[in-house]
Amino acid sequence: MVNFAFKLMLRDLRSGDILTLLMALIISVSTVTTISLFIDRLQLSFEQESANLLAADRLIRSDEEIPKNWQFKAKEMSLKQAKRTSFGTMIFSGDALQLSQLSAVTDTYPLKGAYLVDDTLFARGQPSKQPPKKGEVWLSSRLASLLNVRIGDQVEVGESQLTVAKYLVRDPGSSSSAFAISPRAVMNIKDLPSTKVIIPGSRVRYSLLLAGEPSDLENFESWVVPELNEGQRWRTPVEKGERIGDTIVKAESFLLLAGILAVVMSGIAMALASTRFVKRHLVQVAVLKTLGATPKVLIKVFSIQFVILFFIGALLGLFVGWGGQGVISSLLSGLMSTSLPEPSVGRLWLGIVTGLISMVAFCMPMMLRLIKISPMSVLQPSRKIEKNSLAVYSIGFIGIYGLMCIYTKGFLLPSIMTLAMLAIGILVSIVGWLVFKLGRSLTSGATSGWQIGFASLYRRLLPNLFQLLVFTLIIMLGLVLVGVKSSLVSEWQDQLPVDAPNHYLFNVQKDQIEQINASTENLRVLRSDWYPMVRGRVISVNGKSIQTLYPEGKGEPELYERELNLTWSHSLGKGNKLLSGDFSADGLSIEQRVAKAANLSLGDTLTLNIGGNIVSLPITSVRSVDWSSMQPNFYLILPKRVLDGYSANFVSSLFISNTNAQPFYKSMSQHPTVSILNVGDILKQIQTIIGQLSEAIQLVLLCILIAGALVLIASVRSTLEERLEEGALLRVLGAKKALIQQSLVVEFGALGLFSGLIAAAGAEACVYALQVFIFKSQASWHPLLWALGPLIGISIITAIGLFASRIVLKVPPMHLLRDF
Amino acid sequence: MAIRTAIKVSNLTHTVTANTGDLTILKGINIEIKEGESVAIVGSSGSGKSTLLGLLAGLDVNTSGEIVLYGQAFSNLDEEKRAIIRGEYVGFIFQSFHLLPSLQAIENVMLPAELKGDKDARKKAELLLDKVGLSHRLTHYPNQLSGGEQQRVAIARAFASSPKILFADEPTGNLDELNGKIIIKQLFELNKSQGTTLIMVTHDNELAKKCDRHMVMSEGSLVEK
Repeated sequence: MVNFAFKLMLRDLRSGDILTLLMALIISVSTVTTISLFIDRLQLSFEQESANLLAADRLIRSDEEIPKNWQFKAKEMSLKQAKRTSFGTMIFSGDALQLSQLSAVTDTYPLKGAYLVDDTLFARGQPSKQPPKKGEVWLSSRLASLLNVRIGDQVEVGESQLTVAKYLVRDPGSSSSAFAISPRAVMNIKDLPSTKVIIPGSRVRYSLLLAGEPSDLENFESWVVPELNEGQRWRTPVEKGERIGDTIVKAESFLLLAGILAVVMSGIAMALASTRFVKRHLVQVAVLKTLGATPKVLIKVFSIQFVILFFIGALLGLFVGWGGQGVISSLLSGLMSTSLPEPSVGRLWLGIVTGLISMVAFCMPMMLRLIKISPMSVLQPSRKIEKNSLAVYSIGFIGIYGLMCIYTKGFLLPSIMTLAMLAIGILVSIVGWLVFKLGRSLTSGATSGWQIGFASLYRRLLPNLFQLLVFTLIIMLGLVLVGVKSSLVSEWQDQLPVDAPNHYLFNVQKDQIEQINASTENLRVLRSDWYPMVRGRVISVNGKSIQTLYPEGKGEPELYERELNLTWSHSLGKGNKLLSGDFSADGLSIEQRVAKAANLSLGDTLTLNIGGNIVSLPITSVRSVDWSSMQPNFYLILPKRVLDGYSANFVSSLFISNTNAQPFYKSMSQHPTVSILNVGDILKQIQTIIGQLSEAIQLVLLCILIAGALVLIASVRSTLEERLEEGALLRVLGAKKALIQQSLVVEFGALGLFSGLIAAAGAEACVYALQVFIFKSQASWHPLLWALGPLIGISIITAIGLFASRIVLKVPPMHLLRDF
Repeated sequence: MAIRTAIKVSNLTHTVTANTGDLTILKGINIEIKEGESVAIVGSSGSGKSTLLGLLAGLDVNTSGEIVLYGQAFSNLDEEKRAIIRGEYVGFIFQSFHLLPSLQAIENVMLPAELKGDKDARKKAELLLDKVGLSHRLTHYPNQLSGGEQQRVAIARAFASSPKILFADEPTGNLDELNGKIIIKQLFELNKSQGTTLIMVTHDNELAKKCDRHMVMSEGSLVEK
């Protein structure tokens, strides 16, 4: 039987039907493979970049010492480890002393990324993978200036003397605490015991940094996370809510979406190919039945053929997919600053499963239908195949939906996509029916291309509605990607313009402002407004003390757990948006995320301890804050009258270009008490990642659009035979070539126009839903989609339609008639 | 030795559901056809000839009555079992030939034997194509053959499984007179040499007269002339 099935398939191969199915399968497997492998490589690359910001692949942060057995376990799981112990302490040099943020690290620190250190004060720094040696300390330029020490001098940390070996420009693991007020220092952890600075009750943050294979990290994560207590946190490089995390999560969602669309398109391609296969095999199966082929035999024959087809298709698809992602990556390598990590073979399963589900969901039901055909149809051709296509397509849809869920590891995105497609399906059916009917009645008769075109649209109503749906879906999918891409990229670009502030100045006294303003103006440096900053702590909410509300600090929201920087302002700052209440009212303005975390709303009263004075104020407005705007931002803004009496420090952010960095640092050395925080390197990394993402997204989009065009061609080809027959018939009846050409232009043009218009509407709705529910960004209107939709529809579908049916105009009608 | 009954039909009725309600196509038909006989069924279009032929060959299931083919009743069998019987006893020739367009002439003829797992399929097919005068056309595809040639391939295919009963549905309906004559000659020759029972639906009275028995189908009833 295998032999017979194989022989039959080989013979079928000549007719091109099996080839169409094979091509659809190869397109299906290779598109999904290309995209999933490429996305995988990108994700790995983002993780590596963000791991540089964390100094590790994963990190455990703890308020108490990390249990030894965790370290043993990590070692057992072959993970690389480093430890960092951070705490605030006084550093002395002769008479000078300064409260500093000191980190003691092991020799293995950092596991990812590098320190930036320099031998010159306030310089830009050179990368160093090694931490300070035993007996050495690295001080930030500001700390060295405050202590008045230079390289080679000794400083005292607790009971130890350490030698200043470098000026610290950036600590790779410190980005998350960019607003730490105290200047930084780093020492080797081996010196920590002799300093005796850590005593019971000291506020110390212990970190265990880990790096290794993703699977080992996952194993360790699932082992350690249940062990974590209240004061311990498991951190990954990409975390929601963080600036870079948000960007990457959005990009990943986009790429995932692109992947889903690839899956949907593969499904459409398979559905089209199998419909064509069934159509062309109706007579074959009926004849085989009259020759004595039993349903069992036919099931065996087709199953064997499909299995063989699946293996060949999946193998070739994987091969093409692997090559495809290689081509994309090498195209991209010129644009990306870092080389992409190698793709993991483990991701190939997705392509294989896509192929398998497409085969099972689309080909199997079709095959079963085919086998059910009555052998009587060879005698009575009017007895066609049983009409259960809705059920058959639903199996396909369920298969595709399942595939999307597997792919996204969730239901939300696939559900939005499926609902949108269903809505589009209904819309297409109604609009299509109305338009075709109207078109037909407006152009009755059969003497012009318009009339013939509309007549054939109406005559083949069902196949044309199906084709309209396919065109609409593909154009819509493309437009959704264009819409999401353009809004994401512009959002990112808005987020981080080239001249986004890259330095913060704080601890500035009122009398220093004028001088600093003068020097920044001299250097033509862009600077934000000055914001006064007063420290204060929330001590009670609506009359209930924080201790009563959160005994022992359990579950305490961030707003209450530490001293806050408070400010006043007459107007909403850049990146702030009023969500509710009145900003000018005599009360507190609170940032929405912290308000939500602390379960606060308008009207709640907070009592603050500001420099020993107790102040109670109601919340009178809630703001959203764009934390990625790199502007000084505050959780709480108070009325000016409340903070007026306190001596405030001022904060501002500014953009220092490479050319004016040196003179700027030099001018700032006159103000050693002013803290300068350089976030330029972090910003640069973020901008690099965003740049990579935008390029990657464009390439993935291109990939999807090419796949879409292939599906369009397949779709046109699926109705080609009828068109050929009709064209030939018209020629026989004396129609001129121009008339047939015109009727084809009308037919495809109308299909293109309507699918483009409906697709634009669907894409707008889809992009809106995606922006609101998935990307959590602001919804916006996309005129581009409304222009692109009909334009692409008319031009591409007419072009593809005419190209695919050019044979109608060229081949002599006799030849065509003999073929049928 | 007594001649065996090839097909026995008792009180055969067939009704289909149409838009306007149920439509009875065959009304209580009774026939008995002996092995080796040739039977022509004539009648106007829509009289139910093809439906009867399909039911006799087990391509469809009748509404009521009984059809027994070589001692086996069709009525209670499912498609699987009917197909097995067809493979064993039945051969077919169609008005529109129904050759598989993707297969060469020889491959079309090999098909029934291959389905049975016959290892000599090619040899048999070559022989049969030689008999219908197409040994020079073995590797041609259907669209490279004329209508007459296609029908000769179909005849060769019908005999390839050495059927006991051959059903022919208007075998010359799509052919010109000359080709029609060639086909009929070859069909009857093969039929005779293989001892096959032939049941043929036709419009052609001349052709009908060549058969041993001549029946007329009219408004769902069958009358022997």
